[in-house]
Amino acid sequence: MKVAIVTGAAKPDSIGHEVALRLLKEGMQVVVADLYEEGFAALKQCVCMRCDVADSSSVEDMVRNAVHRFGRIDVLVNCVGGSWGITRKDLLSSPPLGFRGLTNCSLDDWRTIVAANLDSVFYAARAAAPHLRKQGGAIVNVASIAARKGIPPGSEGSSGPYAVAKAGVMGLTRQLALELGEFGVRVNCVAPGVIASGRLKRVMALTGKERGPEGPMSSIPLKRVGTVDECAALIVALCTDDTSYMTGVTVDANGASYAA
Amino acid sequence: MPLEGLKGRKALVTGAASGIGASIVERLKREDVQVFATDIHATHEVIVADLTDADDVEKLSARVGAPDFLINVAGGPVAPTRQQTLPDLPSKALLLEDLDEKQWASVIAANLTTAFLVCREFAPRMKARKFGRIVNFASIAARRGSDRVGVHYAAAKGGIIGLTKTLALELGPHNVTVNAIAPGFIKTPRIEAADWGNASAAFLESLPLRRAGTPDDIAGVVAMLCSDAGGYVSGATLDVNGGWYFGP
Repeated sequence: MKVAIVTGAAKPDSIGHEVALRLLKEGMQVVVADLYEEGFAALKQCVCMRCDVADSSSVEDMVRNAVHRFGRIDVLVNCVGGSWGITRKDLLSSPPLGFRGLTNCSLDDWRTIVAANLDSVFYAARAAAPHLRKQGGAIVNVASIAARKGIPPGSEGSSGPYAVAKAGVMGLTRQLALELGEFGVRVNCVAPGVIASGRLKRVMALTGKERGPEGPMSSIPLKRVGTVDECAALIVALCTDDTSYMTGVTVDANGASYAA
Repeated sequence: MPLEGLKGRKALVTGAASGIGASIVERLKREDVQVFATDIHATHEVIVADLTDADDVEKLSARVGAPDFLINVAGGPVAPTRQQTLPDLPSKALLLEDLDEKQWASVIAANLTTAFLVCREFAPRMKARKFGRIVNFASIAARRGSDRVGVHYAAAKGGIIGLTKTLALELGPHNVTVNAIAPGFIKTPRIEAADWGNASAAFLESLPLRRAGTPDDIAGVVAMLCSDAGGYVSGATLDVNGGWYFGP
């Protein structure tokens, strides 16, 4: 049985949560790595492990445990990320109000956000790579439209450091594709636009505005936000043989908001 | 688990007589999609049409009706004609000074005008039904440039990317997505028959995935874009090339 690790999958209404459920349907054994232990009860068919992805030793322990238990890793999906709700301390807090750009964020913001969004992917990929290499497999990372176009000043619910970290994830995807291709490990990335996740709902509840962090909803050519379902289906397709000749690629899923 | 959102839909695949197009037809049929196939090259399964000719496109549409998926594969580095419907590929690189105006115009017509005419014919029906998925075919020649296929083909395929982005904006409000696939080195029977098919071992070894692509590698991505997985993907060009070129 193939084994998948999904980071950032415990919160309900998140892309990662839906990815975990869909990988189960693909017949895989799914390991969920997350700090949000409250969400583990809703993922009974998965093996949930408490993991702080910003801490390399925590990530290494999680991967070691997964391999110890199941003997192999075929798929790694790095869904963890965000500008808030990414440390144990603020997991359940509301998004901070106000725009946090590169020129006005705190150094602490920078370090926390880059750690959760970029370091985390590096740690997980590095720990899983020796196991993926054995029989081949796939890594899918989740970037953001923010990596393409930035977060416009005035926007709330996201941040400048997030945009930069997600651009880093795209670069990391390319580098890993080069390093792992010869072992039959494909590495790709999805860059979602505005997706109707729990996180978006919390931002909108707070701001009362019909806009995601990246801009007003009315500016989306497809005239709707994306769903967690379709975003997760895309991520899962990048884990399967449907995309057997794709590697190093970022697929934009943004309703034609930004055509790269 | 099969891809969701394909079963029972109707598709039109152009350039469907051989190679990538034929593989897409097979794949979509396996997903229980009702497939109409067209090509200038007659096989027992295709509706024969010259898609550079607006009259032929109109006749085609009378037979096909309103497809949910439109897959524009028709094209190639050598333009087919009604007399020579599956032309051989050249054996050496096409350089700028090798090309005359006629070749330029015919390759632009075969690759770009066909997509324009077919989209113009079928997009209004998708708009009316508030659903559609259009997949156009660009090429790595448009993404990174090419040292063999010639500027006419690269330019036509670059045109496909502009057409794709613009139609994504125009048709988005009608729930029609428009994307392009840019294949890399795909070993179709026709490419294999040409000297172009003898890609050096060194070249293939230089690719991250260490191999040439197959038509089935491309058909899977088409199926993905037509399925629910492609629901929020629009205006995108997907590079399917084994890591040869990562895109912008």
